[in-house]
This record gives sequence, C-alpha cells and structure tokens, in this order.
Amino acid sequence: MTKHVAPPKRAGQENAPQDGGHTHILVLFVDDSHGALDRIIGLLRRRRSNMQTFAIGRSEMPNVVRITVVVNDSEVGVEQLVEQLRKIVDVRHIVNLSFEQAVARELALIKVNSTAAHQNEIIELGHLFGAHAADVDHETVTLEVTGSADKIDKLVTLLQAHGIREVARTGCVAMTRGTANT
Amino acid sequence: MGRDAFQETDIIGVTQPITKHNFLVRNIEDLADTVHEAFKLAQGGRPGPVLIDVPKDILQNKTLYRPLASVNSLEYFRATRQPELSSSAIEQAADIINKAQRPIIMSGHGVILSEAYNELRAFAEKTNIPVITTLLGISAFPVTHPLSLGMPGMHGPAHVNQAIGETDVLFAVGLRFDDRVTGKVSEFAPKARIIHIDIDASEIHKVKVATVPIIADAKAALAALTTAVKPGDHRAWISEIRSWETENAERTRRVKRDEQYPDPTSILEAIRAETGGEAIIVTDVGQHQMWTARHYTWTRPNSHITSGGLGTMGFALPAAMGVKMGMPDVPVWAVAGDGGIQMNIQELATLRQQGVSVKVAIMNNGYLGMVRQWQQFFHARNYSETPITGPDYVKLADAYGLTGMRITRREDVPAAIHKAMITEGTVIIDFVIESESNVYPMVAPGSGITSMIEESVEEDSNHD
Ligand SMILES: Cc1ncc(C[n+]2csc(CCOP(=O)(O)OP(=O)(O)O)c2C)c(N)n1
Repeated sequence: MTKHVAPPKRAGQENAPQDGGHTHILVLFVDDSHGALDRIIGLLRRRRSNMQTFAIGRSEMPNVVRITVVVNDSEVGVEQLVEQLRKIVDVRHIVNLSFEQAVARELALIKVNSTAAHQNEIIELGHLFGAHAADVDHETVTLEVTGSADKIDKLVTLLQAHGIREVARTGCVAMTRGTANT
Repeated sequence: MGRDAFQETDIIGVTQPITKHNFLVRNIEDLADTVHEAFKLAQGGRPGPVLIDVPKDILQNKTLYRPLASVNSLEYFRATRQPELSSSAIEQAADIINKAQRPIIMSGHGVILSEAYNELRAFAEKTNIPVITTLLGISAFPVTHPLSLGMPGMHGPAHVNQAIGETDVLFAVGLRFDDRVTGKVSEFAPKARIIHIDIDASEIHKVKVATVPIIADAKAALAALTTAVKPGDHRAWISEIRSWETENAERTRRVKRDEQYPDPTSILEAIRAETGGEAIIVTDVGQHQMWTARHYTWTRPNSHITSGGLGTMGFALPAAMGVKMGMPDVPVWAVAGDGGIQMNIQELATLRQQGVSVKVAIMNNGYLGMVRQWQQFFHARNYSETPITGPDYVKLADAYGLTGMRITRREDVPAAIHKAMITEGTVIIDFVIESESNVYPMVAPGSGITSMIEESVEEDSNHD
C-alpha cells in the first residue's frame, strides 16, 4: 500500500483544489445480495479510483457485509466516489474515514527461506514486529503479522535478505476509534 | 445458469454499467415484488433504466399475483436517499443571486423531470435573470419568452456562449455540465460563482466546483428560492446580450444561401404552424438534431425528446412511437437524418402493425452529415465513409403499407407537412436538403466555448 501514488487527474476538474493524493478508508455496509460486489468493483473501475486494497467480510448485522476499500485520491475525487457508491442500491451506508480517525489493520502471511541456522533469527525479527511463526519447515518459516500497512512493508523489507517466497496480505480493515460506531 | 446453456448470456453482468439497477429473479415468489421495486427505482430520484432478468424456468412457472410486500432493503434505500432541502444553502444562494450583476440561469433536464416549468418561470421573472436551456432542458422554458436566450455549448448561438463567458453568477439547475456544454472546462464561465442544484449528489463538483451546492429536487429548490430572493432588475445586462445577438445575426445574414432546397428552418416552421406548436418533436442524432434544437419554436413544455449525452443514432423512430403510444392525442413528429433513420427502420413495420401514427421528417443530405462536417472542419474535407445512399423512401413507405413523399423544393414544404397531418397513419417525408450545409456556430472539441467557428462569406463561396 503506497501513499505516494499521484491521484488520477479527472477530466474537467481544473477548477477544483488540486490537493494531491490522500489515502482514504471507505467503509461500506452492503446488502449481501446478488451482484452487489460486482456493482461496487465495477463502479470503482469505471470511475477510475486509485484503489489500494479491498477487503470484504461479514459484519455484526445479518445479511450485511462490510467492505473496506483504501483509495488514494484528492478530496474532490473521493467525495465523488463516495456519492457514486452511495447510489448503488445495495450499499446501505458508507463512511469515509481518515487514518487519524481509524483503527486500521492488515494481516499478512510471509513465507521466508530459512535454514536451521537462521530460523531463530527470523522468528526473533518477527517478534520485534509482533509477528509469530505460523508455520516452520526445513526450508521455510511462515510469519503471521498484523498491523498497519507501513509496518508490514517494513518487515517485508527486512526479511528480503533471507529471500521471500510468498507474501499474502488481506488488505486493510478499519473501524472508528473510540466509542462511536463507524 | 452458469453452465453456458443454449443462449445463456450474463445479462446481469452485461447491463450492470448501463442500468440504474438490475435484478435476477431466482424464485417465482419474488417476481411480483421485483417488478414493483423495479418501477419505483426506475422512476425515483434521478430516473434511470432498471433491468429484470427473468430466466426461462421462472417464466414457465405459475404463481398468484400479490401486491408489494413489506419493507425491504430497497425501501431502506429510498428512505435514506431522499435529499433534504438545506435552508442555509437556500439563504446563501439567495444572497448571491440578490447581489449578482450579470447572472444567468442554466436549466437542464432535471427541470423537465420534476415538471418545474412554472417554478422556473416564476423564479426567472421575479429575479429578471435570462434563461439558457441545455439540449435536454429545451422546452422547459418557452423560447418566445423575453428572458429566453437559447442553448449553450458546442452548437449554441454565439450570444449564449458569450453570456456564459461574462456571467458573474451561474445558476445551474438540473444539469451535469456535459462536455458538449462546457467545452474546455477552465474557460467555461470563468468569472462566475456557481450555484448548482441537482437531485444527484454525485453530480455536484464533478466538473465545475460549485460555490453553493444544493442537493434537491428542482421543483422544491426553485420554489424555495423564489420565495427567498428579492425581485431583480437586469435589463442592462439583458440588452447587452441582445446586442451581441443582433451583431451575430447581422454578420451571418451576409452569407448567401441557396433558397431552392427545403431547409431545416422552413421544415420546422411548417411543422410548428401546422400543429399550432402542440407537436412533440423527437430527434435523432446529428446535424438535424442541432438544427431542430436551435430553430424550432419551443413553447409546449416537454415537447422536445432526444438522445442526449449518449448520442445514439436510431433513437428517433422508436422513441417517437413510444411517445405516440403514451400520448395518442398529440401530434408526434420524428425528425431524423438519412443515416439515423435507417438504423431502426424496421420499426416502420411495428408502426403499421400497431396502427400508430407518427409523422417522420427525414432531413436527407446524402451524408452522415455531422461526421462529414467534422471531416470538413478538422480533416481537410476527407469525406471518408460519410457519403451514404439510402432507399427510395416513397417506395419504402409504400412497401410497409405507409404513405411516403419526396420534397425537393422549399416552396412545397408547407403543403407536404399539411398533407402529412391530414393523412391517417404514419407518413414519411423525404426532404432533400442541401447536401453540405453545416451547423453554425461550432466550438471545436477541446476549445473554450467563446471561441466559435462561424459561417463566413468566404468559406461559403469555396463550396462550389
Ligand atoms: C449508433 C451511432 N453510430 C454512430 C454515431 C456517430 N455519429 C454521430 S452523428 C452521425 C451522423 C448522423 O448522420 P445522419 O443520421 O444522416 O444525420 P445528419 O447529421 O446528416 O443530420 C454519426 C455517424 C452515433 N452517434 N450513433
């Protein structure tokens, strides 16, 4: 998840404040209905959103799924996107969260080359990031880590010295800080 | 489904980007509710097409009809998406309007969809602000009204675009700043503060950032604003715009014209005279569409039907048939080019079969005229694939069991229109118009709307 990608220039918004790219977390509460996911993905593509991650799963409500989309866009661009998403019939509710307002987490599994000699070193490094070994084999260690995208990026960078075989990331899920509901 | 059965198509997937919503009926018990919901969704808020995919096995099933059941997710959708008129926005807008020196009202399709004709008129008259109507906004405001200016954009008359160039307050209601209206966006209404009313929140700030956005139904917003504003007097500003209009008219009057052929103005004027202005005019896409938008005397509300931003040729004939079926007592004229009329020509059979009476005026220039015009202006008259032949429309009409006429001289136009009106059933008139006339003025794509290509005396003499 990079924060530095320039937002796509939208046709005809020359008079809009060009405030550069901002990362926004959009949380969507969506009816678990036929075609709902297609509609959301299709809209994000058609409207040329600069999508970074997309995570989907159950919510606390029956038949309502919770989708977390991280986009990098200008304020005007993201407002457009929110209003467009709001028009999708299956979308019940949508919240545009800033990273400051949110508890935002991502989970990653990282499979790293490891000989017996390096096993402990890798696991210790993981501990510094709150990661634990989800699986250990003769030639590999698989670390499981949760945190911000930056933290995961950092761990991945440090593990590169050992040779990374695979990285699987869930994409960001997020919630409003404090007592208030998202 | 999902196994590539005979004629299986992912219609839900195919239509998703072009519908407001779509439904797949998987259970016959859901059919009635789905149809109810579909109609409500299609008509509510900003209207749009809704598709229902009814698989074959459902169609062969039987069930008992029942009225709409209890609240469901779509009810929820509608309840939470009703725009509420913000009184602070109304106050803010009224304040800007009261202080405006050179204001303009730009009225779009939303005014027609919410049938806010009287509200628009009351607002314009109280504030004394001149009115521009977009292509799809045409006929919301009578063009005979002293405050009516005309259509903006690529083929708008020059004084309208000049007025947009100078305005300090642009009051835009029920429109979306289409690129055919704005031209180069940064040069569109560069001096203006914008008040933008639309029922669809996603249109706000999409193209032009609005000083005061008002998310509301046009009718409600116009009514509230008419109460909130002070009476205005913009006579000086209006006469300035009118002086540009006169200057432009003087300039183009000098161009020599061929008086022999039927021309759009004579055809349209004859239709208007013959129907007492009560006709509904349905146009196709191309030069004839722009000529009709520009030169017909629009006085009946919602009498102009055309395919707007999608620009789908072939629209006029079936759309006119639909209009006539919905309003059987009103005269309906389809105006089309010789290209577009051929794109849904098979509907002549439907018209005949259903006994529907649509009068068809073909403005036949022997070209895909609008594309030819672009080739003339921007591709050094390289008329690639735009000259077209067509059928003999008199024989064609006869073959379908309908009445056809061919008119080649201007003096015969009124009699032909009269004959069409008194003839029962669908009538097709093939008007042979000048082959290379253009729609003027024109703003080149990507230019600001105040830099227009105008008809010139020199260019015209180049023709021969
Ligand atoms: C289905 C479709 N095909 C192509 C076009 C592109 N197009 C726009 S105007 C035009 C020419 C229309 O010619 P005609 O129907 O003869 O009308 P005229 O411009 O001569 O009045 C074309 C090909 C279109 N809008 N729709």
